[in-house]
Amino acid sequence: MKKTKKMVLLANFLAIAIVLNIIESAIPVIPVPGAKLGFANIMTLVILYMYSFKDSAAITILRVLLVSILTAKLLNPVFFMSMSGAVFAMLAMGFFKKTNFFGILGVSVLGSVFHCLGQVTAGIFVIGSTAVLLYLPVMLFLSIPAGALTGVIAQRFLSIWQTYHREIA
Amino acid sequence: MMEKRSPTQKKRDIILVTMLFIIMGGLFLFFRFFAFQTDASRAHVYYGSSNEPIVTIDFVNYRVLRNYDQGFESDQGDPYPIIDEVNRTITLLGDYQVNGVRQIVVISYNFDRKSVQVIEETSPNNICSREGESTGWPLICLPNRVRIEFEATDEDFTV
Repeated sequence: MKKTKKMVLLANFLAIAIVLNIIESAIPVIPVPGAKLGFANIMTLVILYMYSFKDSAAITILRVLLVSILTAKLLNPVFFMSMSGAVFAMLAMGFFKKTNFFGILGVSVLGSVFHCLGQVTAGIFVIGSTAVLLYLPVMLFLSIPAGALTGVIAQRFLSIWQTYHREIA
Repeated sequence: MMEKRSPTQKKRDIILVTMLFIIMGGLFLFFRFFAFQTDASRAHVYYGSSNEPIVTIDFVNYRVLRNYDQGFESDQGDPYPIIDEVNRTITLLGDYQVNGVRQIVVISYNFDRKSVQVIEETSPNNICSREGESTGWPLICLPNRVRIEFEATDEDFTV
């Protein structure tokens, strides 16, 4: 019973993450074209705190793969950048959650910072030039408020979920 | 199931976010306003992951050098990259495809202002054409895999 419930929940979370990912690419962040808020990361965070790093990693990788198939971007340069960003962010969040030094907000912001680092690392290979590094300051600067916002939403989600969960359990 | 965020963690979170915000903000301001003050003497247009520029714009000697062919021709039969010296534009083929057709990237250059701008390009977010005119900041068109980098050497490279 518990296993089925988890499976259904994870499938739903994956669907939410995919929808968030597609919707957020249509929301322009004013100063930098192409910058996204990282709402899909809310689901990665929620699963990381509700279940485990393994589940969160699986859902995140599946999300990136499925979104790139749905938007016909599989294996193009942008795909490698999103994948590398997501993997870096996921590993960083997994690590910082484990240390238990920061709360969910801190973990989210650090994940956001590592997402930029991952994207730029892949960008260097895709473009074949370190010129991409010059975009890093802008990206990092924007990643902090974006990461904080995602962190706050994820935290709110989890606290509401916990109250609701107690009622139905 | 899920542990609550402790007050210590809350405090650390706030300190972390503030510190990062100040550091990154400083870095950002430095790069945006102080890093590219010198005039560029040349701008290189690269395609793909090649490190040999496909076109070099020489702001010192007012000329545009075409270094190699892309191996494709336009509908008018001109081989890419096409250099239009009257309108001061360079047209080359990018990697972004629409219905299997590779799209063009049009770059305009200005010798007086020593600047380069991507004026036409097809991609989902049009990041590089929305960057506007640049005199030192590299322009990167990611889905098209075209990039423009500036070089600021004082030496004259007339052969």
